[in-house]
Amino acid sequence: MVTLEFHDPSGALDVTQPHAPRLASLAGARIGFVSNEQWQAYRMLPMIKELLEVDFPDIEVLPINAFPQGNELIGSEETAALVKQSGVDAVIVANAA
Amino acid sequence: MKNAVSGLGLAPDAAMVTFPIEMFLPGSDLASLPGRKQEFYDGLTRWQPGFVKNTARAAPMLSVEGASYEDALNKANQLLLTNLWGDGLPLWPATRERVDWILRGAAFPRAHVIGKFPPRGGVTTVETCAVALAMAGGRPEYLPVLIAAVEAFLDPESNSEQLQATSGGPFPVVIVNGPIAKAIRLNSGFGCLGPDPQRPAGASIGRALRLLQQNVGGALPGIGTMAIFGAMRYTNAVFAEDEAALPQGWQPHATDRHGYTSGTNSVSLVFANGVTNVRRRGAKKELPQEDALNGMWRMADFMRTPNLGALSGYEKGTPGIMLISPVVAKMMAALGWTQASIRQFLWENSRIPTQQLKRAGAPAWLEIDANPITRDSIKLDPWPITLKPENIVLVVAGGDHPTHFHWLQAHSPRVIGRVMRVPESFDGLLADADRDLGCGSDACRI
Repeated sequence: MVTLEFHDPSGALDVTQPHAPRLASLAGARIGFVSNEQWQAYRMLPMIKELLEVDFPDIEVLPINAFPQGNELIGSEETAALVKQSGVDAVIVANAA
Repeated sequence: MKNAVSGLGLAPDAAMVTFPIEMFLPGSDLASLPGRKQEFYDGLTRWQPGFVKNTARAAPMLSVEGASYEDALNKANQLLLTNLWGDGLPLWPATRERVDWILRGAAFPRAHVIGKFPPRGGVTTVETCAVALAMAGGRPEYLPVLIAAVEAFLDPESNSEQLQATSGGPFPVVIVNGPIAKAIRLNSGFGCLGPDPQRPAGASIGRALRLLQQNVGGALPGIGTMAIFGAMRYTNAVFAEDEAALPQGWQPHATDRHGYTSGTNSVSLVFANGVTNVRRRGAKKELPQEDALNGMWRMADFMRTPNLGALSGYEKGTPGIMLISPVVAKMMAALGWTQASIRQFLWENSRIPTQQLKRAGAPAWLEIDANPITRDSIKLDPWPITLKPENIVLVVAGGDHPTHFHWLQAHSPRVIGRVMRVPESFDGLLADADRDLGCGSDACRI
């Protein structure tokens, strides 16, 4: 038998931070949207906002344009700071590519 | 999306609700959306990642066994493909011996970290590059070019994080200047964008870069990259400027664009999303002046199109790369054309009347651009395709033939330059190449 040993070409992954803990409940939660505003986001996100507000009456869902929108802006440190300052409990990131 | 999550340093996993493309089209039926609401709720409350903090996943060694070397080689290629690490063409398994050989071309330690390859965020070391180059059929003397190209690619200003994933399918174009190009058999002449058995460096370097984009950066078709067509993605485009053929007074691209001293070994990286031939030469008995001017008009006419992918480079990038063959460069220089006057002509005469922009719906893309300078340009009529003539990249390369220009349409927020470093033993590597490939860089048969 001939054995060939060779490198995995995918490179190492360095996991440096944990995912945010999930919310215990959406009741009373404050939710925001960060959107790249592509395609039908202007129709889809208001529907999701409404569904949340109907199913969880004490929830607060920020307007879909509460934070900067667009591919160039949603990944910026400035947007991240604004999200943090807003005091939301969770964010739904909307990305259509 | 998992790539993006991974690239941020999170575990490569995320709470996602995905929808079919039809729901993103104008006038789409969104009636099914409420039926998916529980997925959103669960993502916010119940979802748990499969990984925990600080779980570094180092790439291991792989192993296959075969009844013969050929059988083992076949199994190795099958393993690479089934793990989504191939490109459909045969690969050299990156054995320790082959990778160590490639690493003879490194001026840095093998563990030197160049950066994280976006969007997946795979840690990219000198060894990672050597593995890709080994798989792509490369040689040690190519490694300095690949490493410089990777450095340029990973420069945050290149915006490679988005360009890797976008539907327009941009591919990196690596323009090499300096004596290393000829020394390693990198093509600057006939067929410089394609395969050449006597000057094979560009194919291997470009293929290695592509393998890094896919395997380390996560740009898998339809998953990690939404490139609809994916042109030029087997080998990207890696070629040299024909500096020896530059007319008197013309500067090498690397000097012109990046300020590098002539003779510096360097790369210049541009993202392009198209390659087009433009017939330049006249067909009858034109005078030299007419021949030159007609050709320039045909080039400008071709450029006068709202290439919205180039908006990201409107201020500081480029609308594209114009390849001008050595014989045409000499002919035009003899008529008094300079690099500056060529760019000025193309810039002025590729401007688009606002009426044409409007009928193509282009103003909407200008209005939403993140750069205020680009947004403000909507006031200009005719609208210049780039902020200033100097943004147009002009490179002397290609066969010594007068009939065509070539235009690589860009999607490139910047043009990124990097100076190369070669190891002290580099001359020995070149001697090895002369021995192995049968002809010196000056003695090729064609």
